[in-house]
Amino acid sequence: MSNEEKMSILVLDDEAIVLKRLKPALEKAGYEVEAFSRSSDASSRIMEREFDIVVTDLKMEGLDGMQFLTQVKEHSPKTEVVVITGFATMDTAKESFKKGVFDFLAKPFKLGEILETVKKAEKKIKQAVTT
Amino acid sequence: MVGKFSNWTRKMFRIHGRTRERTTLVSLLRTFQRILELNNRVLEIMADMGDKLGGDYVFDRQYINSSCRQMANLVYELIYNFNTLAPKKYATLDDIFREINHDIEEELAGRLVIPRTDNVMPYDIITQDFADVVGSKNANIAEIKNRLDLAVPEGFAITTRAFKFFLDHNNLQLKVEGILDGWKNEKITSGEASKKIQELITSGSIPPPLKRSIEKALKRLQHITGIHDLFLAVRSSAMGEDSEHTFAGQYSSLLNQPQQNILKCYKDVLASTYSPSAMEYRRQKGFSEHEVAMAVACQCMVDASVSGVLYSLDPLDTAREVMVISASWGLSAPIVSGKVNADRFIVSREFPHDVRGLDIVRKKERFVAKEGGNCESQTVDEEMEMKMCLTDSQIRDLAVAGIMIERYFKCPQDIEWAIDHRDRLYILQARPLNIKARMADMVCDISSVSKKYPVIFSGRGTIVQNGIATGKVFVVKSKGNLDNFPNGAILVARETSPRFAKVARKASGIITDIGTSTGHMATISREFRVPTIVNTGVATEILKQGQEITLDAQENVVYEGRIKELCYYGFMEDAFEETYEYRLLRRVIKKITPLNLLDPYDKNFAPLACRTYHDITRFIHEKAVEELIDLNYHRYFDTKAAGKKLKSEIPLDLIIIDISGGIQATADTSTVSQDEILSVPMRAFLKGLNSPGVWSREPMSVDLGSFMSSLTRTFSSHQVSPRHVGLNLAVISENYANISLRLGYHFNMIDAYIGNKINDNYAYFRFLGGVTDPTRRSRRAKFIYETLAQNDFNVDLRGDLVIGRIKKLSPQLMECKMHLLGQLVAFTRQLDVQMNSDHQIMKFVGEFEQLARMGETMNGSGRETL
Repeated sequence: MSNEEKMSILVLDDEAIVLKRLKPALEKAGYEVEAFSRSSDASSRIMEREFDIVVTDLKMEGLDGMQFLTQVKEHSPKTEVVVITGFATMDTAKESFKKGVFDFLAKPFKLGEILETVKKAEKKIKQAVTT
Repeated sequence: MVGKFSNWTRKMFRIHGRTRERTTLVSLLRTFQRILELNNRVLEIMADMGDKLGGDYVFDRQYINSSCRQMANLVYELIYNFNTLAPKKYATLDDIFREINHDIEEELAGRLVIPRTDNVMPYDIITQDFADVVGSKNANIAEIKNRLDLAVPEGFAITTRAFKFFLDHNNLQLKVEGILDGWKNEKITSGEASKKIQELITSGSIPPPLKRSIEKALKRLQHITGIHDLFLAVRSSAMGEDSEHTFAGQYSSLLNQPQQNILKCYKDVLASTYSPSAMEYRRQKGFSEHEVAMAVACQCMVDASVSGVLYSLDPLDTAREVMVISASWGLSAPIVSGKVNADRFIVSREFPHDVRGLDIVRKKERFVAKEGGNCESQTVDEEMEMKMCLTDSQIRDLAVAGIMIERYFKCPQDIEWAIDHRDRLYILQARPLNIKARMADMVCDISSVSKKYPVIFSGRGTIVQNGIATGKVFVVKSKGNLDNFPNGAILVARETSPRFAKVARKASGIITDIGTSTGHMATISREFRVPTIVNTGVATEILKQGQEITLDAQENVVYEGRIKELCYYGFMEDAFEETYEYRLLRRVIKKITPLNLLDPYDKNFAPLACRTYHDITRFIHEKAVEELIDLNYHRYFDTKAAGKKLKSEIPLDLIIIDISGGIQATADTSTVSQDEILSVPMRAFLKGLNSPGVWSREPMSVDLGSFMSSLTRTFSSHQVSPRHVGLNLAVISENYANISLRLGYHFNMIDAYIGNKINDNYAYFRFLGGVTDPTRRSRRAKFIYETLAQNDFNVDLRGDLVIGRIKKLSPQLMECKMHLLGQLVAFTRQLDVQMNSDHQIMKFVGEFEQLARMGETMNGSGRETL
């Protein structure tokens, strides 16, 4: 992947306000963003294309975030996953990291925090490409 | 003042021995300390929730739910603890808590809590939160009136609740649904269905309570306007009419209706909900019929000489950066519907809004209000036909208002306006201009656009109100220069000031060096939705007067130059303020944060006046301190056994009782020296009391008059309890001191708490009693009053009783205040005897000031810290 090409990010959260805030913020920071509020939609989307980064909530109706990120990691291990959740516990954090999650953010968080996390993930991906 | 403790407490003290008494007092102080802790937690969460409105955070429903519940638990615990401190005294607090909590839970469950005046709401109390209840037309116009202070026609809204009430009262719900089913199943045409439903509505009767509410609202309008025979515009204000979906023109607006017709007009507008075109439109857009609820706007007619429409951004050519004004003589209705020729003005979006282009047309007709009701077209006098119908200054006023409204709603606006015969501009209606599709091309790659502009600083400070602003820097330095604040400038200031409320409407953005997310500036910025970053540290240093910048209070960046694309990008997003979660958070915060209980001396400072959690918290904090102040400590102790005598050079017979951590552990069992005292407020007070100069050892020359007076004067029971006289006692802990001192003939009482948390800190000082005649006593009281007031105490003077309060200062400053109280107590010991005339009051104030300053210099604390 060339440096000029935009990183692609999939954001999944069942609360519209989170998507409304994250999508424009990430786009302004220079990423290409697809946002989903239903995990089933996001789940079929990741079968169609590979994303560089996935940002997902944990607690959702239907397929929950933990199952979704498991799918993501199975399908494309190179994708970096960032978990955002309003129910942050040590257990969920541990489980997420065990599944190879890049970072874990407890809601509410500042826009700056998620941007920083995404930037770190981007750096990791680029390093992996060059080495 | 005694008797504040319940019977059980008293009994316990009598039954059990000394140690038990001591433990009970310890536990009371612990309860008090717990109240302080809870008080702080409540304030912290309140600040935290307020922070989230700023836009810097991403939060969700879960956050709102959990914060509200956490808050409820804390306030509940606060009340519980307070009831231990003051049993049964304020039982109503429980009920009030339950009411507030119920309202919040209703909000969280998605049920809007509408004030009791629910069928009709005057514009003064309408906010965006009620958009679902009053329709967006009413809500927008009310916000423009209440927040932006622009003139709008006086009026009121008849709510969607009234609509449902009307349907229920006439048993129409099922009938209407039945007819609509017939139409959807293609048994009847939309025209037939419409006719049937409209007949049902217009022949229905208005429920009597609704009729009364409308009549009451009309009376109020008569009163406000001073007009007896009102003529009204009765307009539809349906849910969703203005926002994402444009139902423009689908519903009825009836102009210039005499007030006696209002009920009929109301029904006509309701009936227009079911016009064939509106029904078709809803079917196409996928609205379900039960979502339909019509609110109605009733506004006084504006006696318009000229009126029209303003687009704050030219929808046909957004890149041109101009606004478009159409104007014609008379009322604006035919312009809106495109039925008359109108002058067109192309105006710059930048202040002073130069006219870039104009197109003056022949205006042969004008639409005017007819005497007695309704409207008619009239022929325009020939010399007026080709006359430009707006002056330059009218154009500028309009443009300024247009940009102000756009800035507030964060989206280009379609504004209907009128100018009356006295040249006053009225905003009749404002709604978002739908230009999202056109904007998309302009801002296709926002990240590459903003990269072209140099960043002045980023990531500094705290966003307190989200948004994007471009404009010229206006640095506010001295006090005087706010009057010439230019429209649309970005206010840059060292610190926040309540004065900025004056220019917040004109500012497109605000940046300060110092400030907090919970401060006054944050409140103002949110109120006026001005993008604001506080606490940047560097703004006034780096930004130059007149410099063009872009403030991105979403990403926390300040760019050099104007990045219009960033602004337009902001237009395309759904404004954060318009999201459901934002509105929900704001609604619950309204039940939590506003403070109605301001003045503890006001008779309304009572549980029944509490409307929010903040009120309850404030009330309890204030009263808990009062309970402690008035606690009769003598009752709990055999002071000789429990206390230690203070070793002192000055003649002060003071017994000190240490509850916990107030005295060094190694101290002697029966005496204690000043150095061994650890209690923060006590130590500071004693230092003041012993500071050089204030403690006069000279025998006072008491003249015969005052001496005689002192002999005949007895302490009246309500002023000084006989129990208090003759015993000097201090009850202390590490952060607390309650000191009762009788010096000379005065009785002083000091109650103070000084800890690391600023919000906990307070000092209370009470002074009364004394020898000599009432005039001299009151002179002395005035001296104390002046001195305390000059040192920022909140002072209350009643006869010769002086009460001073001060709170919420840093520990260092609180210590300074205790030091000062010490000096003051010493200085006033026998002062009244010397006060022979009124002019001496200020002389002594000055003298004391000097002594106090001297004392401070010796203590190493500078005057400026006081």
